[in-house]
Amino acid sequence: MSRFAPIKPSKIKAGSLESSYKFGFHTSTDKYAFKSGKGLSMKVVEDISSLKDEPKWMRRNRLTGYQVFKDKQMPEWGADLSSIHFDDIYYYLKPTNKEGKNWEDVPLEIKKTFDKLGIPEAEQKTLSGVKAQFDSEVIYGSIKKMLSDKGVVFLGMDEGLRKYPDLVREYFSSLIPTGDNKFAALNTAVWSGGSFVYVPKNVDVGLPLQAYFRINSPNAGQFERTLIIADEGSKVHYVEGCTAPAFSDGSLHSAVVEIFVKKGATVQYTTVQNWYKNVYNLVTKRARVEEEGRMVWTDFNMGSKVTMKYPGFILAGKGAIGETLSMAMAGAGQQLDTGSKAIHLAPYTSSTIISKSISKGGGRTSYRGMVNIGPKAHHSKSKVVCDALILDPQSRSDTYPTNKIFNSDVTLEHEASVSRIGEEQLFYLMSRGISENEAGKMIVQGFADPLIKKLPMEYAVEMNRLIDLEMTGSVG
Amino acid sequence: MAGKTKMIKIINKPGKYQFILDHEGQELEVTGKFSLTGKQVGRWDVEIIHAAPNTTSKTNVKGVVDGSGRAFVNGIIKVLSSAVGTEAFLEERILLVSENAKAEATPNLEIETDEVHCSHAATVGKIDEEEIFYLQSRGIKSDQAKEMIAEGFLL
Repeated sequence: MSRFAPIKPSKIKAGSLESSYKFGFHTSTDKYAFKSGKGLSMKVVEDISSLKDEPKWMRRNRLTGYQVFKDKQMPEWGADLSSIHFDDIYYYLKPTNKEGKNWEDVPLEIKKTFDKLGIPEAEQKTLSGVKAQFDSEVIYGSIKKMLSDKGVVFLGMDEGLRKYPDLVREYFSSLIPTGDNKFAALNTAVWSGGSFVYVPKNVDVGLPLQAYFRINSPNAGQFERTLIIADEGSKVHYVEGCTAPAFSDGSLHSAVVEIFVKKGATVQYTTVQNWYKNVYNLVTKRARVEEEGRMVWTDFNMGSKVTMKYPGFILAGKGAIGETLSMAMAGAGQQLDTGSKAIHLAPYTSSTIISKSISKGGGRTSYRGMVNIGPKAHHSKSKVVCDALILDPQSRSDTYPTNKIFNSDVTLEHEASVSRIGEEQLFYLMSRGISENEAGKMIVQGFADPLIKKLPMEYAVEMNRLIDLEMTGSVG
Repeated sequence: MAGKTKMIKIINKPGKYQFILDHEGQELEVTGKFSLTGKQVGRWDVEIIHAAPNTTSKTNVKGVVDGSGRAFVNGIIKVLSSAVGTEAFLEERILLVSENAKAEATPNLEIETDEVHCSHAATVGKIDEEEIFYLQSRGIKSDQAKEMIAEGFLL
């Protein structure tokens, strides 16, 4: 709808959701190695554990998770989750019996999917290692030999548990306990897949490690569990991408990601989330940063029906640094409730949270964040900047920051602004002969650009393309 | 009401405040100031609702916390979908004078339409060492310097 045309309410046409989503295809689930029945019960949890032949402690862990999940109330804040039907979801879907080390080992139909998504191609060109997860299981994994020789471990979480049981036991659930929230408890009960990364002391994993998550079945639940341990002085960049087919029934994605950044280490965790617009994306992500360590979350959310995600960092060592760069774009029928949590526990720590959101076509974006500077965190600094762009009168944007300061020797700044595309900016570009649509796109891209710049080049190109696709014909 | 700014001052009075701008073109300016000492706890809830078109609001809350005082400042601007052309600004600034002072600042925004310009800012911090040093170099004792700076902060 043009701003220079008479104002009339825009209607969302049925079927308009599919039009711009190019990852909407799916593969038949008939040949799956195992499918759990619909719904969640103690038996489902026990079945998953026996199928995976896990140690006893993990089985107990799962059962505790199940109990906590049942006991906890649904969160009453944030997005409306009332239309998630927990009884209609398949909690465990195993597409194949083994993880391939070559793409040839991957069943043809699944391989086709990943070919369409361009994963094997990207792997050759720009990545250090790849994990591909299809519904509940990791079906492909690789890592460059040079890195595995240096001792870098990049495994599916299940394999990680088999090969490094002590390491996993030491860290698993230690940062995000089972009772952290209802969905973390659900993940603990039925988790499957995800990545296990260990980077030894002083090793720099040059190119990014990528995990690719694909939901394939209707009503599927994907509950991956990721554990990243970056030992002293090491450096790693982990990227995850997510897509799902276009089904009318909603799927549930509920991951737990725990990251340990040791003394002087650097971890960057990038998410490019482009779920189909019927997926509930309820994710818990947290990092613990030791002395002089640095954690960077780059969190891009474009897809899903509802996203509630607040990647956080606990700055536990002197001089630790945490950074979150978060971008959300919500269109028709979407609610993206994102933000970040910064917990300062040690002196001289600093955190930066930059959030940009775009709402259009009746979509709703919310920034929800928390900065907590504890009594021992003297000389700490925190800066939070939230900018929101609203493209039409039907859309909505909220900002809910909480700043808790328990120490006088700190500086905390918070800024936020909400506006629409400036009339003058649009007019300026149009007076140069650029159409209104193009001008709107340029302004939105310029708005998101400072964050997109932080991505590796290939992803930056992809992000720009996604924004372009989302914005086509929508600027008003 | 158009063109006439309504000014409201809240000095050292914790509590819940709600302002609704429901006439077209209404303008509102809210100024809140407080200082807490000893074991005082102060809680401010300020809610500004823009319900009519072309309304303007400016809210500014400033406070100094001394001793082991605790300040809670919870501000919210709501712009309803009927309130096109809204301009709103919310500012929360808190100065922590003593080591044990604590503060919580929550500036919220809920925006339901597009033709708006809303922003907020919050800062929590301590007195700049250099400001104290400057005053000390003029022969003022550090305690008194702190008092002067805190006083100036609230002006």
